[in-house]
Amino acid sequence: MRTNPLFAVLRVCLILVLVVFAGFPIYWMASTALNVNSQLYNTGQVPWPQLSNLPELLEELAAVPILRWLVNTGLIAAGTTVLSLTLGSILGYALSRFKFHGRGLIGFLLFMTQVIPEALLVVPLYAMFISLGLLNSLWGLVLANVGFSLPVAAFILKGAMDAIPYEIEESAIIDNCPRMGILSFIVFPLIAPSLAAAAVISFFAGWNEFLFAATFLMDRDLWPTSVGLASFIGQYETPLSAVMGAALVFSLPAVAFFLLVQRKIVAGLTSGAVKG
Amino acid sequence: MTRNILSRDRLLGLVPYAFVAVPMAYLGVFMFWPLGRQMWMSFTDTRLMNPNKGDFIGLANYAELITDSQFYTSLHVTILYTLLTVIFGVALGTISALAMDRPFKGRSIVRAILLFGWAVPNVAATLIWLWIYNGPSGVANEIVQFLGFDRIQWLTSMNWALPSIMIVTVWQVAPFVMLVMLAALQSVPEEVREAARIDGADALNVFRNVTLPHVLPTMQLVSLLVAVWSIRRFEIIYLLTGGGPIGSTSTLVVQIRLTAFEDYDLGLASAYGAVGLALALLVAAVHFVFERRRAKVMSK
Repeated sequence: MRTNPLFAVLRVCLILVLVVFAGFPIYWMASTALNVNSQLYNTGQVPWPQLSNLPELLEELAAVPILRWLVNTGLIAAGTTVLSLTLGSILGYALSRFKFHGRGLIGFLLFMTQVIPEALLVVPLYAMFISLGLLNSLWGLVLANVGFSLPVAAFILKGAMDAIPYEIEESAIIDNCPRMGILSFIVFPLIAPSLAAAAVISFFAGWNEFLFAATFLMDRDLWPTSVGLASFIGQYETPLSAVMGAALVFSLPAVAFFLLVQRKIVAGLTSGAVKG
Repeated sequence: MTRNILSRDRLLGLVPYAFVAVPMAYLGVFMFWPLGRQMWMSFTDTRLMNPNKGDFIGLANYAELITDSQFYTSLHVTILYTLLTVIFGVALGTISALAMDRPFKGRSIVRAILLFGWAVPNVAATLIWLWIYNGPSGVANEIVQFLGFDRIQWLTSMNWALPSIMIVTVWQVAPFVMLVMLAALQSVPEEVREAARIDGADALNVFRNVTLPHVLPTMQLVSLLVAVWSIRRFEIIYLLTGGGPIGSTSTLVVQIRLTAFEDYDLGLASAYGAVGLALALLVAAVHFVFERRRAKVMSK
């Protein structure tokens, strides 16, 4: 098909503008991290990243409890993933394989969870966690996070299971294999890519979460990176380059994994809203 | 024997519920029970100091809400913010998808860069934008000055705080829209486009009569998602402006937080929350009405 040359040029310009708008803040984060702090406020920021400042940045980062925060973040994210996938796969399997009364209602309730603002649950969960002794505990945080990531995992896994013919399982049922065995040994290997996508989504839902963590954790030693980074806002003791460096370290895993499973994520999030 | 088979059948009928029971009980405890409690709190005078106790006071919180000028500001800001982020986010995302639809050299790298805003965690995104918007030293003002305009108080002036937040939001949301629209565009059957071209349709005509109708349902769906997210969004707004200046960027969801943790008034905070939830449900309901209508048209 022939292309109008003017149209082609416009398209290239458009893509360039989009790349600058989308990429600049990340570029700027890296550039700021690799500036010396006195430059940032006095002589002006050097617009390109100066790799020669890397040792200084590492030294500054060592003064920030970033490792401790990342470990906490990792624990919260891992807990959220394990619990979301366990419950989500059971629920997804039931929604995919069985016809039963209340199936539509469950679909509706799952959709509802995606409409509820987190801010609405903060106070009741806070009150509940006081009674259960789960306040100021990473466990309580995981339990709260899973409420939002479980339905997404269930939607993604249901969609993947719908694509597997039931006959494969029937032979196993005839051989008297228990349902849970079927799920683990026959269904899971077949939907491995979707399981991976659901795992990435749950993991980074836990990784990025801020509101619950900021409210439920009082102990600074328990803070995840999101809360730790937010504590830098309006505070000028920590060098800005270290703040940006920490933010970069915090962002890189999320960016890498999201890019890896981008298509699956889209399929999961949209199918949930369509089929409700 | 017959009885035995019957009871076996009945037992088999319970299998789905055995599967569903634990996950749904979980959601019941950690989502729907707290949600119900929050809604109930909006009819009580619960305070933050003692969140497990509060007396029923009927509609008093809602009465306070409708006499509070901040409520109208919040409602107005929420609706405006939601509408504009949907319009700009979906427009920019769709334009990006159209630009990225046909292969070119380096497309996968460009695609990865375009997704940055979506993949970066909220708090990290907030930190970098706070620095970009910084009054004396931020790069946004350098650019503005370079272009020959006056410096802007991005996050602290009444006129610019909301647009500044919206720029960040669009930066985050447009990549997701692009991904979804790209998938939709690539599912348009090439034969249909080809047939239209053979019939003499030019590029614009093919787009309007073949491509657009095919991707419109997806566009509506992604608009719903973006709208619901805008109503729910907390972190970006709270960390960028804290709802200020003078409450001018305090959406209903930010207002829940401020009322609960700065005024300690959980009852009134819950009333704000109830209105926010109602708004989100309204958007979802409108979407489902459209969806059902389209399903009917399709089946005719």
